[in-house]
Amino acid sequence: MSVYLSIMRAIKFTFQNILRNFWLSFITLTIFILTLVTVNAVLFVNVVAQEVLESVEERVEVTIYFQPEATEDLVKSAQGYLRGFGQVRDVQFVSAQDALDSFKERHGADEIVLASLEEIGSNPFGNALVVSTNSTDDFEFILDAIETPEYASYIKEKDFTDYEVIIERIDSLSSRVRLAGFALAALFAFIAVLIIFNTIRVAIYVHRDEIGIMKLVGANDWFVRAPFLLEAALYSLGAAVLMAIMMFLFLHFSQDWLIGYFGDSHADVNAYFVDNGPVIFLTEFGVLAVLSLLTTAYAMRRYLRV
Amino acid sequence: MIRLTNVSKHYGPDTRALEHVSLNIKPGEFVSIVGQSGSGKTTLAKLLFAEEMATKGKIVVGDWDISKIARSQVPTLRRQIGVVFQDFKLLQRKTVYENVAFALQVAGEKSKRIRDIVPQVLKIVGLHDKTHRYPRQLSGGEQQRVSIARSLVHRPKILVADEPTGNLDTIHAHEIIQLLKKINEYGTTVVLVTHDRDIVNSLKKRVISLAEGRVVSDIQHGKYVLS
Ligand SMILES: Nc1ncnc2c1ncn2[C@@H]1O[C@H](COP(=O)(O)OP(=O)(O)OP(=O)(O)O)[C@@H](O)[C@H]1O
Ligand SMILES: [Mg+2]
Repeated sequence: MSVYLSIMRAIKFTFQNILRNFWLSFITLTIFILTLVTVNAVLFVNVVAQEVLESVEERVEVTIYFQPEATEDLVKSAQGYLRGFGQVRDVQFVSAQDALDSFKERHGADEIVLASLEEIGSNPFGNALVVSTNSTDDFEFILDAIETPEYASYIKEKDFTDYEVIIERIDSLSSRVRLAGFALAALFAFIAVLIIFNTIRVAIYVHRDEIGIMKLVGANDWFVRAPFLLEAALYSLGAAVLMAIMMFLFLHFSQDWLIGYFGDSHADVNAYFVDNGPVIFLTEFGVLAVLSLLTTAYAMRRYLRV
Repeated sequence: MIRLTNVSKHYGPDTRALEHVSLNIKPGEFVSIVGQSGSGKTTLAKLLFAEEMATKGKIVVGDWDISKIARSQVPTLRRQIGVVFQDFKLLQRKTVYENVAFALQVAGEKSKRIRDIVPQVLKIVGLHDKTHRYPRQLSGGEQQRVSIARSLVHRPKILVADEPTGNLDTIHAHEIIQLLKKINEYGTTVVLVTHDRDIVNSLKKRVISLAEGRVVSDIQHGKYVLS
């Protein structure tokens, strides 16, 4: 008995089953795909939220204003000191003159402000450092770190733009989206399991005579089972491949839309799916296949007794 | 060839299809099993190809004790025993040729061997000129001959036929019995389950009568003895 021949024949019978029950096959495949669409939509929203979050975090900076007495050398040494920390992404030196210029620029139209500057006579601004960190969580650390005896007395004011509220909002939004998405995906997966189960049951019912005859003329259990298992695996593969194609098309055509809403972030969203695409779709195929094979095996045990 | 020793089959506490059946069928014999409806004939046939398992007793087919046959061994047994039924059990969407080839395909037989064997068995049953018809395009007798052809592809030593003429008129029934006799003459042991008094009487072969699951008579060159 040739294994190769048996496999080829099992494959032939599988395709016959799929084609002879075209609508059933079509509906099963559609449900598989709907499940994956939900999962991928959740994934997509997550990636976008993550990108937006990161781009906001990148813009958050803390500014350390030094007293006018603090010399440029002292401030530059503080700059070097801060750069030594791993959490720090960048430290920009802003001289007192720059600070004055940009202040004048911002308030150029305001007569009163300009008049009071005149009154003071000298530059009221000191040198300053603008620190950005890799994560917003690191600000506390940086603000503490600068409080050394060496610099503490020269520091006039520390200030960071209040993005925290925005970040928290995005965070809670994206975790809510994630939760709702996974609930939806789980629901679809559950429906998919039921439909697969029913599909296999109907298929076994439709083929019960054929199966009975196969067994009577001496087909072994595996030869009877194989077409049903193969069918389930094929639906999973078909769904994963079609989903990958749809995702590719979606990303391709949504590019302009993404640029409009998220600026530069869109590039990273695309890059994420380009980098992780194979892993994502292999995983999705794997999970679907395991799910549908288990369902098929269960349906066969219940309704086929093989 | 077939030896049953004290075989009982109970489907439930109240359905005792067979009780203490012992019989011995020698190679090359042609045995008719007769009895009223519900007497256990089909059950006896099913025990022979392991469609049902005996509740008690020992069944030996060839040299093989199949009383406690493993599930995985059943296909091997089925390939050594041809089976034919009243309702033909043909696949409606396959042609005559494909129906017969199917039994070889599921057994993993090579395509070349299938192309050799199928025309041979179709010639034996006289359907070599109707190989591409579908079952619905054949008479009942012809359909039964397809099913007999299919049962022959593994060159079985035993052929079990459960009321093969039950759905046929007298002429077609006679043709089928002639075919079974021919197969028996080639050396295959034939176990024929039947209701048909005329057939049993004309065969003049061994007749085993069942009543309420027990063997009530076993006569060489017998006649149909029940009312
Ligand atoms: N699968 C089953 N489950 C329960 N009882 C069964 C089953 N098959 C048969 N029986 C019972 O066993 C007894 C013998 O049945 P069997 O089919 O062997 O009779 P038979 O002699 O072939 O009858 P017929 O001539 O009508 O075909 C009957 O009482 C029947 O109701
Ligand atoms: Mg019967």
